[in-house]
Amino acid sequence: MNAVRVLGKDLRLLARTPALLAVLIGYPILVALLVALSLQGEERKPEVAFVNLDRSGRTIVVGGERLSVEDYVARISEEVKLKELDPEAARTALEDGRVAAILTIPAGFVENLVFGATPPTVELVTSLRAAIQSEAITRRLESAIFRLNQQLASDYIAQLLMLAERVVAGGRITVFGMTGEIFGIERSRKLLDEVRRELVARGSADLARRLKPLEDFVAETAANLRLAGDAAAAIRSPIRLRVVATAPGREPLSAFGVAAALLVSLGLVGVLLAAAAISSEREDNTLVRLARGLVSPGALIGEKVAFSALASLVVGMLLLGLIALTTSLAVGRWGYWLVTLILAGLGFGAFGALVGSLARETRTALLAGLMLTLPLLFLGLVPENPTAAGISQAFAFGPAFRAFQALLVEPEIPGDLGLTLAHLAALAAAFGAAAAVVLARRERA
Amino acid sequence: MTGGDRAAPVRTTAGPIMVASGISKRFRRTLALDRVDISIGEGECLALLGPNGSGKTTLLSILAGISRPTAGFISWRPDAVARLGWVPHEPALYARLTVRENLRLFAALEGRRDPHAVAEELLDRADLRAFADRLAARLSTGTRQRLNIAVALAGEPSVLLLDEPTAALSPDQRYRLWRWLDELRRVDRLAVLFSTQSVEEAVAHGDRLQILANGRCVFAGGAAELVSRHGAGGGPQAAEIAFLRLVGAEAP
Repeated sequence: MNAVRVLGKDLRLLARTPALLAVLIGYPILVALLVALSLQGEERKPEVAFVNLDRSGRTIVVGGERLSVEDYVARISEEVKLKELDPEAARTALEDGRVAAILTIPAGFVENLVFGATPPTVELVTSLRAAIQSEAITRRLESAIFRLNQQLASDYIAQLLMLAERVVAGGRITVFGMTGEIFGIERSRKLLDEVRRELVARGSADLARRLKPLEDFVAETAANLRLAGDAAAAIRSPIRLRVVATAPGREPLSAFGVAAALLVSLGLVGVLLAAAAISSEREDNTLVRLARGLVSPGALIGEKVAFSALASLVVGMLLLGLIALTTSLAVGRWGYWLVTLILAGLGFGAFGALVGSLARETRTALLAGLMLTLPLLFLGLVPENPTAAGISQAFAFGPAFRAFQALLVEPEIPGDLGLTLAHLAALAAAFGAAAAVVLARRERA
Repeated sequence: MTGGDRAAPVRTTAGPIMVASGISKRFRRTLALDRVDISIGEGECLALLGPNGSGKTTLLSILAGISRPTAGFISWRPDAVARLGWVPHEPALYARLTVRENLRLFAALEGRRDPHAVAEELLDRADLRAFADRLAARLSTGTRQRLNIAVALAGEPSVLLLDEPTAALSPDQRYRLWRWLDELRRVDRLAVLFSTQSVEEAVAHGDRLQILANGRCVFAGGAAELVSRHGAGGGPQAAEIAFLRLVGAEAP
C-alpha cells in the first residue's frame, strides 16, 4: 500500500513539472519522427569507381534504340554513384577506402554487343574491408545489369522477330550491322505456284506434282515462323509486373521505421525515468526514511518500475495513436499493444531502476542511463549480427523490438509472441530483483 | 548557545524505554562501532558526543533501523511504544512537494489513520502554518529542519533520534529548535537522543552525555561527572577539556 502512495507522489510530481512532462512526451515523438524519417528516407548511393576501357565510341542499334557505353553507364548510375577514373587511380581509391568498388567496362564492349557472339563481361572489384557495402553494391549492379539485359534481350528478340517476318515476307533487312535483301518465303511460295501452273499448262503434270513436297515445306515454314512470333513474345517477358498507384493519401511509413522509433523513444523514456526516479529519492535523502521499514527496497523498485512502465504505456499509446491517425500504417491490435507496451515498459524501467540504484546522483544516473541505453538500443536494431543479437536479447530492447515488429509487420499474430513477451517479463523481473538487491545493500552500508 | 539558554529541567521517568547492548558494526576491515551500550528513558535527552568519524551516525543509523549491526541487540521496555522518529543530518524531504504534502505523505506512510489531520496538527506544533503551501525546496535552512523533525514526528514516536540537528543552523534557529524539542519532551514525554560535535550543546541540552571515540564509548554520565573525572579545574571550558582528553586530542 505504501508503494502505491509513493507512486501517487511520483505521478503528482510528474504532473507538477510541465517542462519535464513536455520533454517526456515531445522528445520521444521527435526521436520517433527522426528515426522513422531517417529509415525511410532516400538511401545514400554508394560511390563506385568507373573505369572505361572501351574508347571505340561505337554505338549499337537494337530494336531501333541506339546504345553506347555512355548510355550503359547512365543507366547503371541510377543505382550507384559512379566516379570515372583511370585504372590506377581507381585501384588506389579502392585501397584508400574512398570508393567501395571498381566497375570496369572492358575494351570491345560495344563491338561484342554488336556481333553478339561473345557476351561482353563487365567487371566489378569490391573491397573485403567493407563487406556489407560491397554486398549491397553487388546486388544493386546485378539488378541494374539484369534490367539492362532484359531490355537488350527484348530488343534482340524484337529484331529477330522482324527478321523472321522478313524471311516470310521478304525485303531489306539490317542485322548485326549488315544490310541485305531477302527474297522471302511468301514470294518463294508464289514463285513455286507459278512454276507448277506453268508446268501443268505445258503438259508436264508429273513434273509439277514433284514440286508438291517443296510447296508444303514452304507453307509449313511460313506458318511456323508466324507462330514463333507469339512464342518469342512470351519469352521476352515471362512474368509481367503491373504497377497500380493508389490515389494520393496519408504519408506512407515503413513498419520497420515505426518499430525502431517506438523502441528508441520508449527505451529512453523507460530507462531514464526509472533511473531518475530512484536516484532522486536518494538525492532528496528520503531513501533513509523509506528504508526504515516504510517501503522495502523491493517494493520501492517495483513502484519505480511501475511508474516508468505507466509513462511508457502512455507515451507508446500516444505515438501509436498519432501514427494510426496520420500515416498509412494500419496499427490495430490494441489489446496486444497494451500488453506489449506494459511489459516493454517494465523491462526498460527495471533496467533504469538498476542504473538509478547504482548511481549516487540524478545527473550521474541520467548520464549513465543514456550512455548505456543508446548502444543497447542500436544493437537491438541490428538482429542479423549474432553478437549484437545475443547482447540485445540479454536486455529488454531486443525482445521489445521483436514484439513491436511482430505486431506491426506480421499479417497474423506469430505463435512465438507469447514467448517474446515472457522473455520481456523475465528480464523485467531479473533486472528489478538486481536493482532491489543493490538498493538494499547501498542503504544498509 | 550558552549554558544560560538551557530550558527548565524535564522530569524523566525511571527505567529506560529503549536499551541497545553490545552494538558493533564492521565495514570490511574497519570496526566502526565496538560493543557500544546505550539506553534512554522516557522524556530524557541523551547527547551523543564525539569527533568526526567516531561512529555517532553509524550508531544512530543502527538504532533507527536503517543499518544492521554486526553484533548486539536492541530491546524495548515491555510497556513502551516501540516507535522511533528519525531525523537525519541532511533533511530527508521531497523537495518538490509542499510542506503540507510532505507531512500528509509521511503520516500516511507511517500508517496514521487520518494523515490530513496529522499534517494540520504538525503544521501548528512545528510552527510551519505560514509555510504550509510552500515547496520544501524553497524553505530556509531552519524551517526545513523544523519540517524534517515534524516529518519524523508524523509516526508518533516515543524516541526521537536526531543526527547533528543544529549543525547548519544559526544561533536563533538553534534556540527555537531546542525550545520546541524541550516542549516535546515535557508535553509528550518524548525521549530525545541527539548527536553533536559541540560539547557546549551537549552539556546545555543533554540530561546525560555519551562520548564516542574511534567507535568505542569512552564516557557515559552527566556533565558534572565528566568535568569532575576528566576536567581540569572548574572554568567554563572544563567540559571541553575533559572531552578533548577523552577523545585523545591535545587539551589546552
